[in-house]
Amino acid sequence: MKQFLFFILKTLALLLLTMGLLDVLYTTVYLQSDSRTKIDYLYNSNNKDYDVVFLGSSRVNNHFVPKIFNDQGYKTFNFGITRSRLEESALMLKLMMERHYKIKTLILQVDLNINTNDHSEAIRSLFMPYLHQSQIIRDHYRSIPEYYELLYIPFYRYLHYDARVGFREMYASLVHKRTNNLDNDGFHPLESHGGKIIPADLSKYYPKKNVAYEEIKAICKANNIRLIAMTTPMCMSTINRDYFNHINSVYPEIYRFENAVTDDKYFSTCGHMNKAGAVAFTKVVFDAFFKPKAKP
Amino acid sequence: MFFNSFHFAVFLPIVFILYWFVGHKSKINQNYILILASYYFYSCWDWRFLFLLVFSTLLDYVSAMKIEKSTTPSERKRWLWLCISINIGFLGIFKYYNFFAESFAEVLQSFGVKASPILLDLILPVGISFYTFHGLSYIIDIYYGRIKSEKNFVDYSLFVSYFPLLVAGPIERATHLLPQVKKRRKFSFNKAKEGVYQIVWGLVKKVVIADSCAIYANAVFDNYHSMNSLSLVLGAVYFAFQIYGDFSGYSDIALGTSKLFGIDLLKNFNYPYFSRDIAEFWRKWHISLTTWFRDYLYIPLGGSKGSKWLKVRNTFIIFLVSGFWHGASWTFIAWGFINALYFLPLLLLNRNRKNLEEFRLGLNFDSLRIVFNILITFGLTCLAWIFFRAKTITEAYQYIKRLFENGIFSEQYFAIERYNYELIPLVLVFVVAEWNSRTKTEPISGQYSWLKLSLCLAAILALGVFSDYKEFIYFQF
Repeated sequence: MKQFLFFILKTLALLLLTMGLLDVLYTTVYLQSDSRTKIDYLYNSNNKDYDVVFLGSSRVNNHFVPKIFNDQGYKTFNFGITRSRLEESALMLKLMMERHYKIKTLILQVDLNINTNDHSEAIRSLFMPYLHQSQIIRDHYRSIPEYYELLYIPFYRYLHYDARVGFREMYASLVHKRTNNLDNDGFHPLESHGGKIIPADLSKYYPKKNVAYEEIKAICKANNIRLIAMTTPMCMSTINRDYFNHINSVYPEIYRFENAVTDDKYFSTCGHMNKAGAVAFTKVVFDAFFKPKAKP
Repeated sequence: MFFNSFHFAVFLPIVFILYWFVGHKSKINQNYILILASYYFYSCWDWRFLFLLVFSTLLDYVSAMKIEKSTTPSERKRWLWLCISINIGFLGIFKYYNFFAESFAEVLQSFGVKASPILLDLILPVGISFYTFHGLSYIIDIYYGRIKSEKNFVDYSLFVSYFPLLVAGPIERATHLLPQVKKRRKFSFNKAKEGVYQIVWGLVKKVVIADSCAIYANAVFDNYHSMNSLSLVLGAVYFAFQIYGDFSGYSDIALGTSKLFGIDLLKNFNYPYFSRDIAEFWRKWHISLTTWFRDYLYIPLGGSKGSKWLKVRNTFIIFLVSGFWHGASWTFIAWGFINALYFLPLLLLNRNRKNLEEFRLGLNFDSLRIVFNILITFGLTCLAWIFFRAKTITEAYQYIKRLFENGIFSEQYFAIERYNYELIPLVLVFVVAEWNSRTKTEPISGQYSWLKLSLCLAAILALGVFSDYKEFIYFQF
């Protein structure tokens, strides 16, 4: 039995060693990757100077065209990430501050995402490789239930989030396999599908006070960033468009742009515009906030 | 509590310590610890089903003694059939009632009679098919006088409820397991070490092979109407490795776990995908179930004795019942039927016991023929697996039709953001590992065992699927 216990101890030591080595390998690879996701790009950049930064979900990623701003002399980047929620947007902004970004204006999408205070597991996983290196990320996740396991058990974070930061992603980062996430200054255009737009149903959506949004407001105030929080277009056949009226009853400062583009030909799906829609919408936003006012 | 869960990783060492450090002095203590652990293990799914398990154990235990004490053949037969009826009755209610009710209603509807069957909203008790077959084999062996009935209820309960085999087999025989639980087990380092290796290899099969293949197989089967021929071929191959990795991985963990307690269980798989014909495949796939059907159904029906027609009938019965055992669905029956069709030519030509001996490959024509036969057998198996995996027979038919008609063999990008061919290297590495260790129970033991163990651990950690957790497929049966 003594021999067996010794064998088990050796096996466990081997397991721990393997976990440690794999953790070092994966983390090293991710720390050197800056071209696969907006998060690794952000983490591996420093002292960026932006006039305008866009934050939000796919409804930012697919809706704001930085080129329109850049052509007018504004330095702009679209940091919207498909599937992210306001919690991840808040962390993105905190990370920007940690990386000494200088931002004049933040355009934040606040519409469907204030239906919940929840987070996105898919996007949370993308922050995990930097857990040991970034104090901001550690602080942000300090209250989640598995925080100590993620931080102290080697490789646990990569096991827990293997679908997003597991072997496939690590290998792709290692061989510098390109993605289109950073093309067009972060804007990802969608195609039209040609068919009829299926209405989105917002009847189960209720806008509520959002912790992450409050946090973003506080960060902007502390860092002297002009915050423009706005809704973005949904197709006109959306069920319960009244949802957008309720948003203003919770947060009156949010600008209403859900009707900025209405024609179905500008939509890829009910909640996402195609490229033409994105261009039209970005122009509307630019004109509303950045176009020099004509002298009276 | 699944074998690949954290819960089990805590449970197993506790039981091991209690077994070898507290209860090691007597067989009675060892058995009490194992039976309590087994009941706890089973109650982790649903404690209410413990009553069913205990009832089934009591029924078989009492029936066996009654059969033995019976003075007349008719009384013996009465007790045998009473026990079989109740056991099959439970299985029928929980597993097959809704299927029969719905099928009957469909038949009536085809004759223009409108019927709305009363369906039962029951959860299938995990492992019911396995422990029912356990008990039945015991009762039938008693009836035929092959063994004596077990008087010690704890020993008998352990035979039925022993946790490594409780929920998905292997389906044990009283002649093999009972003698082991009737004596005190002494610790053997080599056996325990072999057990650990087998558990690790089982985990590789489950979390690396089966669960990875499941992601791709699901992507193909769930969207087969938009897949090209290459994706459909790969989908069937991935599913073949998913079900093999899943079930044989489970069996390896069960056998390995049992070895930690000094108990050997029946081997359930013997590298079935290296079979040279379907008969050999069935001698190597889910061995404990195949031999169960052979001994308790095929042979009592007359087996391969008698006329050709009788042999054919018996073959179809055994394959159809085997298919139906897997689940109350026409797809499983179709899967059994197809395997019977595969088996038929071998039976009629008296070639079903041809490939009994082991083989070695060399640089000669004979080896080429063996490899060709293996590939053909594997291809036929994959084709049958399509029926096993599909939701309906129509879906399986459409899948196969599209596979042959589409004719496009190019890479395809799935909605799950993966290419259809991505998993091929992993599957090939696994095949090579299995091929090289096909004379052993697992590939880790032997030379460079520490290196091989490290590679397996690294594979589990790096290539395993953890976030997209999959239950063992055979738990549902």
